[in-house]
Amino acid sequence: MSKLNDRVFGLVMLAVAVAYYYGATQFPVPFGGSEAVGPETFPKILGVVLAICSLYMIVKPDPDNPWPAARTFVELGVAVVVLILYALLLEPLGFIIATTLAIGTLCWRMGAKPLRAYLTGLISGIVVFVLFTYGLELPLPLGLLEMS
Amino acid sequence: METLHYLALGFGVALQPENLMFALMGCFIGTLIGALPGLGPANGVAILIPLAFTLGLKPETALIMLTAVYAGAMYGGRISSILLNIPGDEPAMMTCLDGYPMARNGKAAEALAISAIASFMGSLIATVGLILLAPLLARFALTFGPAEYFALFVLAFATLGGITGKNPMKTLMAAAIGLIIATVGIDLSTGTQRYTFGVLELYEGVDFIIAIVGLFAVSELLFFIEEKAGKGREMIKVNPLKLKWREILSIFPTSIRGGVLGFIAGVLPGAGASLGSFITYTLEKKIVGQKGYFGEGDPRGVAAPESGNNGASSGALVPMLTLGVPGSGTTAVLLAMLVSLNITPGPLMFTQNAELVWGVIAALLVGNFILLLLNIPLVGVFVKILSVPPMYLLPIVTMVAFVGIYSISHSTFDLDFMIAFGVAGYILRKLEIPLVPVILGLLLGPEMEKNLRHAMQISDGDWSILWSSPLSIGLWLVAIIGLVLPVIVGPILRRRMQAAKEKVG
Repeated sequence: MSKLNDRVFGLVMLAVAVAYYYGATQFPVPFGGSEAVGPETFPKILGVVLAICSLYMIVKPDPDNPWPAARTFVELGVAVVVLILYALLLEPLGFIIATTLAIGTLCWRMGAKPLRAYLTGLISGIVVFVLFTYGLELPLPLGLLEMS
Repeated sequence: METLHYLALGFGVALQPENLMFALMGCFIGTLIGALPGLGPANGVAILIPLAFTLGLKPETALIMLTAVYAGAMYGGRISSILLNIPGDEPAMMTCLDGYPMARNGKAAEALAISAIASFMGSLIATVGLILLAPLLARFALTFGPAEYFALFVLAFATLGGITGKNPMKTLMAAAIGLIIATVGIDLSTGTQRYTFGVLELYEGVDFIIAIVGLFAVSELLFFIEEKAGKGREMIKVNPLKLKWREILSIFPTSIRGGVLGFIAGVLPGAGASLGSFITYTLEKKIVGQKGYFGEGDPRGVAAPESGNNGASSGALVPMLTLGVPGSGTTAVLLAMLVSLNITPGPLMFTQNAELVWGVIAALLVGNFILLLLNIPLVGVFVKILSVPPMYLLPIVTMVAFVGIYSISHSTFDLDFMIAFGVAGYILRKLEIPLVPVILGLLLGPEMEKNLRHAMQISDGDWSILWSSPLSIGLWLVAIIGLVLPVIVGPILRRRMQAAKEKVG
C-alpha cells in the first residue's frame, strides 16, 4: 500500500511550520521592551511541535486511504464550486433564488431527479426565508425578487 | 446542603416557561440529529450555535437548548442503530449488535422502548453523579494556578485521541494546527499583529464557530457525495409496541451498571462515550454469561450500551463545566458556545455564574424526562423523518449552516472561509487526522497562551515553574501516559472493537 499521502502532507506541514516559526521571529519588539514571554514565544513553541509531528509523519507514515476515482473527484469539485457560487450569489440573486439553484444542484448531483431536486431547493428556501424574516425577524436578502 | 440549595436555584431557572420551551425544542431537534446517520451530535450542535446567537437568546437559555440537543442526540443515535443497522453516531455502534437482530425478529418497537428507558436510566444516574461530583471538582480546581492550567490544557490535548485513538502523533499535530490558527489576529496583551498579512478580516482572529461549522458540516457533505450514499438504506418497519412491566424491570440492573460505568468513562480523560458503551456491553455479556443470547437480540444487549453511552455523555460534562476542558467533540462545541457568550468556563463559573451552571444541570434532569416522554410515544415521527434520503437532507442541512453563519455577520467572506474549512476538513479526515483537537486548539489557544504568560510572569522567565508543584507534575505525568498508552493498549482494544463492528457488518 502506498504511503504517499502522509509523506506529502508531512512535507507541506513542515514547510508551514518553518514559515510559521520564521514569521514569529519577525514580530516587532512590543512597546516597553521585550519580556521573558512575548507575543512570539507561544507561536515558536507551536512551530517546533508542528515540525516534530510533520517529521514523524514523513518518517513513519500510515497507509493511505483511497482517494476517490476521477469522476467522483469531479463531483466533489462541482459541489465545492456550487457552494462558493452560493456564497457569492446569495446577496445579488437573493436568498430564495440562490438557495433554489444551489440546493437543487446539490440534491441533483447526489442522485435526486432534477425536478424534485430543484423543487426541494425552492420549498426549503421559501420555508427558511419566511421563518427567518417573519418568525425570527432576521431578514435575509431578497435580491432580484425585491422589485416585484 | 449547599448543593441542594443551588439545585433548587437551577430548577428555578430551568422551569421558566421560555427555558422549558427551548429545552423541549432542543430535545426534539437533538433526537433528530442523533437519529440521522451522518449528522453526529458535534456537527448538529455546531450548526445550531449560530442560530442560537442570532436569536439573541439569553446565555442560560441558549446553553439549555444546546445541552438538550446534546442529550437528545445521544438518545437519537440508537434509532438508526436499531432500524437501519447503521449507528447514528459513533457511541451507538454497540447498540447495533443486539438492537438490529431484535428489530429483525419483529421486536423493533420493544427494542426502541427498552433502549429509551435504558438511556433515561443512564442519563439520570450520570446527572446525579454530575451534581455530586462537579461542585467538589470545581472547589478543587480553584487551587489551580496558571502553571497547573497550562499543564491541564496539555493533558486535555494528549488524552483527546482517547485510548482507542490510532496515532497519537496525529492527534498532537491536529492540536498544533488548531492552536496555530488560534494565534492569528491581534495579540491581546501587547497589540502585536500576528499572521494577519494586512487582511482586515483576520485582525480579530479566526471565528471558531465558522471553523467548526465548516469542518463538520461541509466536510460531511463532501464525504456523502464521495460515498454516493444519497439513496439511504432499507429500513425495518416498526411493529405495535407490546412491552410488559416484567421486561422493563428485567433491564433495570443492567441499566444501573451501565449508567455508573458510563459516567466514570465520561469523566475520565481519554475514555469517552464510545469506550463507555463498549465496556458496558462487554461487561454485561460477562455478568449474564451463558444465560443470555447476546448478539441475537437480547434486550440486555440493547440496554447496556445505551445506558453506558448516555451515562458517559453526561459524565463528559463534568470536566467541561468544572475545568473548562472538554473531553469530547460535542462538549468542545458546547464550550465554544460558552466562550462566545463571553463566559469563562472553569471553577469560577460555579460561583460567578451559578444560575447558569445549575440551570443547565437542572435542565439536564428535566430534559431527560422530556426525552423519555418524547421517545416512547413519538418514535414514529422520528422514524418517518429518518426515511428522508440523505440526498435531500444533507443539502438542506448545508443550507441551514450557510444561513446560520450568514446571519451572524452578513459577510460573504465568512461563508467562503467556512467552505475553505470544509475542504480542509475533508482532506484532514482522509489523512485520518482527527478534527476535534483542531477545534479544541482553536478554542483553548488564547487561554493556554494567557496561562503560559501568567506563569512566566510569576516566575520571572523561569520555565521550571511549569512543573514545580506536585499537582502540575501529576498532570504532566497523566498527559504523558495519555500519549504513550494508546501505543501500547490501543491496538488490542481497537482490534476487539473492530471485531464487534464486523459482527454488525
